[in-house]
Amino acid sequence: MRAFRAGVWLELQIIRSSPDTLIPFFTAPLFTIIFLMIVRNGGRHDLQPDALMAPVLMTLWWFALFHGGNLVTGDRWQGVLEWILAAPSSLATVILGRIASIMTIGLVGFFEVWAVGRLMFGVSIPFEHPLALALTLLVTVFAMAGTAVAFAALFVLTRNSYTFANSSSFPFYVLGGVFVPIALLPGWIQPVTKGVFMSWSSDLLRSSLKPAPIDNEWGRLGMVLLLGTLSFLLGRIVLFYVLRRMRTTGELATA
Amino acid sequence: MQHAFRAGIADYRAIWTWRSWVLGWMVRVIAQVSFFGLIGLRVSDERAAFYLLIGNALAVAAQTGVFSLNMTSSERWAGTLPLLVASPTSPVVVFSSRGAYLAVDGALSALGALFIAGPAFGLDLPWPRVLAVIPLTGVVAIASYCFGTFLAGLVFRFREINSLVVLVGYVGLMTVCGVNVPLSYYPAALEWISRFLPLTNGLLAIRGVFEGAPWSTILGDVALEAAVAVGWMTAALLSFNRLASRGRLDGSLDYGA
Amino acid sequence: MSAVEVHEIRRVFTPRKREPVTALESVSLTIPIGEVHGLLGPNGAGKTTLVKILSTVLLPTGGSARVLGHDVVDEAAAVRPQIGIVFGGERGLYWRLTGRQNLEYWGALYKLSRSEIKHRSAQLIERVGLSERADERVETYSRGMKQRLHLARGLIGDAKVLFLDEPTTGMDPLAAREFRALIGELRGEGRTILLATHDMAEAEALCDRVTLIDRGVILATESPRTLGRVISRFQRIDVEGADDGLLARIAALPGVSSVAPADVGVRIEVAEEGVTSDVLKLLVDSGVTSVRTSLPSLEEVYVQLIGDRGLQV
Repeated sequence: MRAFRAGVWLELQIIRSSPDTLIPFFTAPLFTIIFLMIVRNGGRHDLQPDALMAPVLMTLWWFALFHGGNLVTGDRWQGVLEWILAAPSSLATVILGRIASIMTIGLVGFFEVWAVGRLMFGVSIPFEHPLALALTLLVTVFAMAGTAVAFAALFVLTRNSYTFANSSSFPFYVLGGVFVPIALLPGWIQPVTKGVFMSWSSDLLRSSLKPAPIDNEWGRLGMVLLLGTLSFLLGRIVLFYVLRRMRTTGELATA
Repeated sequence: MQHAFRAGIADYRAIWTWRSWVLGWMVRVIAQVSFFGLIGLRVSDERAAFYLLIGNALAVAAQTGVFSLNMTSSERWAGTLPLLVASPTSPVVVFSSRGAYLAVDGALSALGALFIAGPAFGLDLPWPRVLAVIPLTGVVAIASYCFGTFLAGLVFRFREINSLVVLVGYVGLMTVCGVNVPLSYYPAALEWISRFLPLTNGLLAIRGVFEGAPWSTILGDVALEAAVAVGWMTAALLSFNRLASRGRLDGSLDYGA
Repeated sequence: MSAVEVHEIRRVFTPRKREPVTALESVSLTIPIGEVHGLLGPNGAGKTTLVKILSTVLLPTGGSARVLGHDVVDEAAAVRPQIGIVFGGERGLYWRLTGRQNLEYWGALYKLSRSEIKHRSAQLIERVGLSERADERVETYSRGMKQRLHLARGLIGDAKVLFLDEPTTGMDPLAAREFRALIGELRGEGRTILLATHDMAEAEALCDRVTLIDRGVILATESPRTLGRVISRFQRIDVEGADDGLLARIAALPGVSSVAPADVGVRIEVAEEGVTSDVLKLLVDSGVTSVRTSLPSLEEVYVQLIGDRGLQV
C-alpha cells in the first residue's frame, strides 16, 4: 500500500513541476469547440452530447497513452529505474499508483469540457442517467489505467515509443467509437472494435446522456471491466517479463 | 543550404524509418482524417463528410509545419545554436533548409490522406483538375512551416512549453482556419484573423478545385496563402535576428534549463 | 554469516551487433560483517558490474552471490530492504523535483512511515550538508551536490550493507574529506561497506581490505598497507643532470629495473623495496641535486602486476 501511495504522491509532484504534462487540458477546449461547431453547423443539436463526450475520452486517452505509457521509459531515461528496482517496494505497485494519480487528474477533463460547452455555446445537457454516467466514467478510467500499464510495459520494448504513441491516438478513436458509434463503421471492422473497451464505454456514455432507458447496462459495464482487467493483467505480465529481461541484459540503465 | 537540408533529413531518419512512417504515421494520419469523415457522415451526409475530409487532410500539412518548432528547440538544446549564430550563414537560412523536409513531409502526408481516405469515402477526384491540389498543398505546407518557424522564435527561451505550443498551435489552426466549418460560421473578427494564418486561404483554393470554382478565384486564394507564408517567414527572420543579438548580449544562446 | 559472499561470479554482456564482452570472470570474494571493503580498479574493470549484481539490479551469467545470507538472484526481495546503494553521476534523480522530494520518495520506497520519512530526510539532508538547497530543484544542483543527495538516498533505508560506487566523484576536496569522515561514522555504526573506487588514496584511507580488480578479474585482496608496500616497490626517480657514467652505475645496481630517457632528464625505475635509498645515495654523493621521486599510477601498477603475473608480496 505504501508503494502505491508513494507512486500517487510522486506523480502529483511531477505534474506540479512540469506544465507540459497537462497539455490535454489545453487542447480539450479546442476539440470541444471543433466538435460542437460541426454538429451545430450541421443543424444536429441532438448530437451535442456526443460532441462533448468525445473530447473527454480523448483527454483521458492522452493521459493513459502518453503520460502513463512513458512512465517506465521516462524513469529509465532519467537513470532512476535501476534504483527503484533495487528498492524493497514493488515497481509494478508504484507504477499503478502513478497511473491512478494521472487518470484521476484526467477526469477533470470531464468538467472542463462541460464548462466550455456551457460557457461558449450555452450548451446545457441534463444528466438523464447520472448513476450510469458516473459508473461508466469510473469503469472507463479503470480500463484506461489498465491499458496504461500495458503501454508502460510495451513501450520499453519498442525502440521509439514516441512514434508508437503518436500512431495510437486517432486509430483508437475510430475503433473505439469515440465520436461516431462503431455501428456506423464498415462491417468488416466491427469484430475488431468489440475487443476495444472504448467502443463499449463510448456507447454507454452516450446512452447515459439520452433520455431513453439504457439497454443491458450492467452487461456492458461488465465488458468494460473485463477488458480493462485483461489489460491490467497483460500489462503486469509484460512488465514482469520486460524487467526480468532488462536485469539479464543490463539494459535497465540505457536503451 | 544543401548541407542543412541533408542534415535535416538525417535527423528525420533517426526518428522515422520507411516502415514506421508508412505503418505508424500514415495509418494515424488516415485514421485522423477518416475520424472526421465519419463525423461528417454521422452529422449529415456524404457532402459533409467530403468537406471534413478535405479540411482535415490539409490540416495534417499544417500540423507537420507547426512541428518545425520542435526542431529549433532541439537545436538549442544540442548546443549547436551558438555555433550556428557564429557561422557566416544566416541562422534563418539554415533553419529554413534544415526544416524544409518537414514541409515536404507535411505535403506528402496530406496528399496521401486525401487520395487514400477520400476515395474510400466515395469522394470523387475530378481528373485532371485534381492534380492542381498537389502544388496547392505544397504552398499550404510551406506557409505552415513558416508559421512554425516564427513560433519557434517565440518560445525559444522557454523549452518547457514547446510541446504545449506545438499542440495548441495546430489544434488551434484546426479550430479557426475553416477546416471543419465554413469561414462564414465564425464571427466576422475571427474570420478576418484567420485570413492571416496559414491553411485558411490555401484550403479555400483546394476546396475550389473540388467544387469546380473558376481558376481566377483559386489563384487569388493561393496568392494570399503565399503572401501569408512570406509574412510569417519575415516575422521569423526579424524575431531570430533579435534573438541572436539579444542572446549574444545576455548569453542566453547556450543550452540550459 | 558474511555480509557478502561472491562465488565464481561471471557476467557476459552481448550488445546488439557486437562481440560479447566479459565484464566479470570467475570473481570470488567474501566480506565479513562490519568491514569496509574497497574495490579498486581502473575504469572498465568490472567494479560497477559487480556492485550492480550484488544490489540485485543485474543478473549474473554464472556463479552465485549472497548478501547477508540471501541469494541475490532467487531471494532478491529479501536482499533489497537491507541494502543501500550510492551510485554517483548526473542521472538517477528526478531532476524536476527538489532534493527533499527525491529523498522522501525514496524513503517511501523503503517502506518508512510518514513521520520516519520526514524525520530521516531532514536528518540526512543536514548530515550531507544540503540544508540550504534541499527545497530547490535537482536540475539546479552542481555535480557535487547531486553526489551528496545520492549519498543521502543510499542511507535513507538504514541499510546494513552499503554499496558505494565512486561516491566522491565530482566532490570538492573539502566535501570529499567530510564524506570520508562520514564513512568512518557509518562503520562505527556496524554497517558493512563495499566501496568501489579508482582512487588509491581513498581506498587506503578508508578500507580495512582492498580488492584489486582489472578487466573482470580479481588480482588480489589485501590490506591497504600491504598494497602500499607493493606499490612502493615500483617507485620512480626522475633525475636531471646526471652523466652517462653515473647512470650506467645506477643501472647496474640490483633491483633497478630500468633507466630510460624521459621528457625531461632520465627516469629510473626500481622493482624492489629498499633500492630507492641506494639510488638516491649514489645520486647525492655524485652531486646531482635535481631529483624527484614518485609513485606509479594505479594503471601503471596494474600493468606491472599483470606483467608479473600476479602479486608477489
